[in-house]
Amino acid sequence: MTYVVTDNCIKCKYMDCVEVCPVDCFYEGENMLVIHPDECIDCGVCEPECPANAIFPDTEPSLESWLKLNAEYASVWPNISVKCEPPTDSKEFDGVINKFEQFFSPRPGQGDGGCEDGGPAKVQPVNGEPPGLGQDP
Amino acid sequence: MGHHGTADKFIATAQRPAENGAPTEDMIRDLVDRFYTRVRDDPELGPIFERAIPGDWGPHLATMRDFWSSIMLTSGHYKGNPVAIHRRVEGIEPELFGRWLALFDETCRELFNDDLATTFRVKATRIAESLTLALFYKPDRPWRRGTP
Repeated sequence: MTYVVTDNCIKCKYMDCVEVCPVDCFYEGENMLVIHPDECIDCGVCEPECPANAIFPDTEPSLESWLKLNAEYASVWPNISVKCEPPTDSKEFDGVINKFEQFFSPRPGQGDGGCEDGGPAKVQPVNGEPPGLGQDP
Repeated sequence: MGHHGTADKFIATAQRPAENGAPTEDMIRDLVDRFYTRVRDDPELGPIFERAIPGDWGPHLATMRDFWSSIMLTSGHYKGNPVAIHRRVEGIEPELFGRWLALFDETCRELFNDDLATTFRVKATRIAESLTLALFYKPDRPWRRGTP
């Protein structure tokens, strides 16, 4: 069992979760985070910390495709354990539906040390299906 | 519990959870100290732990206080990789997690009210399941890379 990051993280990326995770199992994409299912110990600490309510236990129904996405990108994106400033337009995207189809970026984020100058890189929307994913979450 | 008379007196005054039902750092300290005393005395768990932690237990107890503080109080004190650490433990078996959980629950029930003891048990059980999966059943997990 593991927790998974889902749609509403995309372009919100508040990152409160990474500060409280005891096992540093978050990995950073350009505009969302994912959890490494083999490193998550299912402690549940991150779930209530997420201002976007984007984190769920994988026991919730219909999360298979998100679990797959988390596992796949956790193995290629860099680890993140220190919170950076969220994107300045986070709040505007909080609650927008179907963000995956519109905005998901398969590109990696900067990981730890990437936000030393005070904020993450500006994020451009990326359309199209990410490589290796058979179905949209 | 007979030989813990002074501890019991202390518990009566100091072991009250905070208003929101969460434990205090002192309560976590007592839990960790008492639980690992029990683990070291246990015929099944004792030898495994003594082999894994030879010598000074101070650092391990501090780590476990940080761990439970991170879990119960989201303090962020613990940062580590328990899966990797358990993978190196000689003689570790899935059944031992059941024994561990029983002793942990027993200790929580001695120290805390029912609600708090249950909260600890639920957390510990989920973490134990997750660790056993990661340690023993990993190749069967459907989301492993390289499997369809």
